[in-house]
This record gives sequence, structure tokens and C-alpha cells, in this order.
Amino acid sequence: MSLEKKDEHDHKGWMEERDLTALEERYLTLLMWLDKRLRLVDYLELLEDLYYKVNMQMPKSHTEQYGLDNKFWYWYPLYALGSFSTIAYLVAAISGALLGFYYAPAAAGATGDPTVAFNSVTAIMQDLNFGYMLRSIHRWSAQVMTAAVFLHMLRVYFTGAYKEPRELNWIIGIVLISLTMVFGYSGYLLPWNQLSYWAGQIGVEMALSIPLAGEWTAQLLFGGFTLTQATLQRMYILHVFFLPFIVTGLIAVHIGIVWMQGIAEPH
Amino acid sequence: MSGNDTPETETDGGTGIVPPDDETPTWSERKERTQGLSRLTYEYFERARREDQDLRQESSYVERDVLGFPAWPHEMIRNLALTSFFVGMIVFLSATLPPEMMPPANSSSTPAVILPDWYLYWSFGLLKLGPLNPELALLGGQKLMADRTYGVLANLVIVGAITIVPFLNKGAARRPVEQPFWASVGVFGVIFAFTIAVLSVKNLVPMGSHLLFDLTFLLPFVGGFISYAILKSMREGYMFTLNRRYYRLRPPK
Repeated sequence: MSLEKKDEHDHKGWMEERDLTALEERYLTLLMWLDKRLRLVDYLELLEDLYYKVNMQMPKSHTEQYGLDNKFWYWYPLYALGSFSTIAYLVAAISGALLGFYYAPAAAGATGDPTVAFNSVTAIMQDLNFGYMLRSIHRWSAQVMTAAVFLHMLRVYFTGAYKEPRELNWIIGIVLISLTMVFGYSGYLLPWNQLSYWAGQIGVEMALSIPLAGEWTAQLLFGGFTLTQATLQRMYILHVFFLPFIVTGLIAVHIGIVWMQGIAEPH
Repeated sequence: MSGNDTPETETDGGTGIVPPDDETPTWSERKERTQGLSRLTYEYFERARREDQDLRQESSYVERDVLGFPAWPHEMIRNLALTSFFVGMIVFLSATLPPEMMPPANSSSTPAVILPDWYLYWSFGLLKLGPLNPELALLGGQKLMADRTYGVLANLVIVGAITIVPFLNKGAARRPVEQPFWASVGVFGVIFAFTIAVLSVKNLVPMGSHLLFDLTFLLPFVGGFISYAILKSMREGYMFTLNRRYYRLRPPK
């Protein structure tokens, strides 16, 4: 027996003295290879925590603890509105990305002649296979999302779910509902048809009537005081670049806070 | 440098990286920040963690002693079913009610009806609040701001009012029955959202515009008062049941 101190970090030796199957051996080798480089062990605790949170030991919910199940079930659809709006948002995102393959935000003006943007929407609806359906799905999922978001807000209001620990999430929700409407508005302008044009006109006038910052706002959002190519392009970039990032991030935060704080059930 | 009295001797090859000695702080020492905001943060987090632990130990909160209802597959399959049902609903709607084709943008012909999407009707209606914009005697009958500025500000006021609701309505009451006032404020808001939407299309409503304008503001109050009355009387019954339950459990001597 040697008195030589054993190397505690001799993982290879430790692995060899154990009786492992081929699969286990390969798995361990891979794990050790990765751990040596990425120090996975540091993240193990996080993963473990996540695993237990997902799989077991859910604390009893309020309804279970006080035996409210028999009274609570008919409220349940109202408590699904938030996730319904998230699902509708996902559907809109996917169908919107597909529409983006065929749409071009170019409008030389508003003379009553079809512009490039208008023509591309027409082509989507008349020439593209399933294009009509695609645009229809995008439009309806947007409508449904907005409706679900409004109803979600009403549910939160009437069940007092915005109270004490949840004020911040209420405010995030207000920001989200406003951004949802901006999303809808910017999308409304994209086909560049009569309604888009005149809705845009109202938007420019609203922006211009803001005290002090009006002209600046109109320049920033609409690219000028009249509706031109710049307006359409800005609305397009808002709709497909800025808003998706901001809204998706805020939705993640919103849902994350709900996850942390739990759902406020009525007492 | 342990055992080395000549600090000018470089042993690190000029890299500044030296093996840890007695004076090198351990990781826990490094974590316990010694000064400033980081120290404060550390202390607070330690306190908060201890508080959390104490609260957990004190609480009578029931935790399950068996495995909970697992997220996979049970919850996930339920969620998947709900999701597919819901997506199916969207697809059904889009197949049956597709968007219509509109004429291209034309700045020289104003359409008879200009409307945003339905969810902006309320905001559109608020832009038409001109008659409520006060003419101030101080300014010699002038208005303080243009009608359209007034309309845009009305939007901001409404959104702001909704935002600060959690800071106005505090307390443990959750159900509408327990807080008749705030529930009727909500009913007021919902009805107002509809009436102001109708006001935004006043040229389509077969009604005198003055009557319509009055109704826009009267109906929400009527609805609010009615729901207040109903909830108040419901609260009587609610309290009665609560009291009866209480006295059944603890009969008066």
C-alpha cells in the first residue's frame, strides 16, 4: 500500500475503478470533457433548482388550501386570458414573419394609384398560395390578442389582482396594452390603402397637437408632417423591428413576475 | 509574500498573477464586500435571506408531502389541448371572415367614414371632446389649449388614471362585493369606453349630436350608480352570511 497521497481530482481513475456500462462511460466522459472547459458544476445548482420547481413539491395553491375548487372553476376561463393573448401573439409573430417574405414597404405617394406596398398586399391575397389565409390569420390573431388583452385587464381590475405586491406588474401591463395598440396601429398603416392613409393622417395630427414636443414627435414617428414614403417605412420598422423586441421582452418580464409572485386568486 | 523578504524580486514573470498566500482573500471574504454600496447590498441580502427562512419556518403554509401534480406530462398536455383549441378558433375565424380589399391610398378623396381599428375607438372618441374644453374668463373667453391638444391630453389622463389605480385602492379586499366603490368605478370605465366609442362615430348614429354627447357621459354614471347600489345590497347579504357562519361556529353565550 502506497503512502502517496491520492489525487482527489483524478476523475479518470475514479471512473475506471467503477463498474460502468458503455453508455454511462461515454456520458461521463462527455460530461467531464464539458465540465473541464465550461465548469458546468457551477450551474448545476441552478439546473437542479429548476428541475425541482418544474416537477415537484408545488406548494398548495390558495384554491386547494381553502377548498375553493368547486367555486373557482367557472372563473377559470377568465384566468386563461393572459395566456390566450400570449398564444395569439405567437401566432401573429409566425404569420407576420411569413407575410414579411412577400411584403415590401414602398409607397411613392398617395395619388390613388396602387403603390408597391399596396400591390404586394394585393399579390399576397390574390396570387400567393394560401396568402389570403395567411393575412387573414395574421389579422385575426392580432384582433384576438388585443381583445384578450383588454379582457385580461378587466379581469385583473375586477378581481383586485393589481393590489399590493403586484403594482409593478399592473404598470408593465398598462405599458404592454399601449404597445399592443401601437402594434395594431402601425400594422393598420402597412397596406397603404385608403383607411391606412387616413388613419395615418389622424395619427400625424395627434402627434402634432402634443404641446411643445409635437413637431419633434411627428418627425420621429411619421417622418414628417405629411404622409410619405418615410411614414410607411418608419411604421414598417416599428412594426417588424422595435415593437417585436420591446413587446417580447416585456411579455417575458410580465410572465416572469407572475411566475415569481403567483396568480392572485380571489379570496 | 510568505517567506520572501525581498518584495522587489519578481516571481510572477511580470504578469501580476501570483499564487494565493495567507493574505489572499478567500472567496467568502471576497463575497463579503467590506465597504460602500456593495457591502450594504451584501448585508441586505443576508438579512433578507434570513428573514425569508424565518418566515418559512414560522408559517403554517401547507406544503405537499407527496409529489405534486407534475408539469410534464399532465399540465403540458392540458395546456397543449387548450392552445390547439384556441389556435383552431383563430384559424376558423380567419377562414370565415377574411379581411376585405380596400382602394389604395388617395390623399385627394376623403372617405365618408374614417376609422381606426375597433380597439382605438375610445381613443378616437376622446379626440372629439372639444365641447368640454373650457373657455376661460381669465383669458377673455379664449381656450387654454386647442381642442385637439385637449383630446390628446384626455388620452394621457385616462391612461395615467388607470396606471395609478393600485396606489389609490389599497387593502385586502379582492371581490367586487367587498369593494363596491371600486367595482362601480370599473363598470363606469367599461361603459364609458363603449359610449365614447359610439361618440367617435357620431355621424353614423341616428341621434341628435347633443343628445349623444350627453348620453356619452350620463350612461356611465347611471351604470356606475346602479352597480354600486347592487353591490352595496349584495354586500349586506354577504356580510350576513359571513356573520351567520361566524356565530354558528362561536355561538353567543
